[in-house]
Amino acid sequence: MKPELGVGPDDNSVLRIRRNIRATPEFLFNAWTTPEALLKWWGPRGVRCTAAEVDLQVGGAYRLANQLPDGQTVWISGVFEQVEKFRLLVFTWQVEAAGVIQKNKERVTVTFQPDRVNSAVTEVCIVHERIGDGATRATHETGWEGCLDGLEVLAERGAEIFSEPVPDH
Amino acid sequence: MSSSRTNRRAPRTRHPDRTLDLVFGALASTTRRHILERLARGPATVGELAEPFRISSPAITRHLKVLEAAGFLTRTVEGRVHSCMLDASPIATMDVWLTQCRQHWEETLDSLEVFAAAAREENPEK
Repeated sequence: MKPELGVGPDDNSVLRIRRNIRATPEFLFNAWTTPEALLKWWGPRGVRCTAAEVDLQVGGAYRLANQLPDGQTVWISGVFEQVEKFRLLVFTWQVEAAGVIQKNKERVTVTFQPDRVNSAVTEVCIVHERIGDGATRATHETGWEGCLDGLEVLAERGAEIFSEPVPDH
Repeated sequence: MSSSRTNRRAPRTRHPDRTLDLVFGALASTTRRHILERLARGPATVGELAEPFRISSPAITRHLKVLEAAGFLTRTVEGRVHSCMLDASPIATMDVWLTQCRQHWEETLDSLEVFAAAAREENPEK
């Protein structure tokens, strides 16, 4: 499997997902930022959002309770870094499970772009980055943008390596 | 855990998040990605790895240390020859995270689509 990675301006490894949804940018932006709406729809399969707090402004915090199928609740929280109404949200992302907060920092960017052809359709694009902690950021270079074509070779080679018997010399 | 420092991979006793950050950090460098691409074609000496880049020996050493900390390298010494060999297992770790993250967002967007469709049914004129 080839990991789909792009390297953004800050050289954080990113994951990009796009989806066209039949709704206006306003509707989708509000769905994403209104607690009443989040309680109704937020979450992957099997997950219920049981609590939502949103302070929608730069520097404001959000907190979402995700109830998993096994009954356990996981909290997702963060701070808004950018808010452009009906267009863009950038927020940090941190998961807390069983009282333990993850140490790494992640950042999510969500954009809502009206489809050029069909105004009733919006393209939602999610970019999920790992920002890393201070120590690992020190090793990041700057200034390179592009696709990791070579990484595909690596991933394929990685798959080969796993299937090769370990040499004993 | 063996106390020998040669021919050992970085120990995997750290928190998984830290491992992932080291892996992503290791990849966040053009030079290091080129080094990995070269090693994907086969083992190489430190000198061979440094050759394509017009950077100093200490700089290459720093890059190799970052790759080693992320678990990408196995080092061997035969006589005076120091070689590096690729360990691609960090890619698998990264791949697991990417897969989980992608699945999380795809399913979350599924939920958003369902929500939007339900709203359209309630308000057909929109």
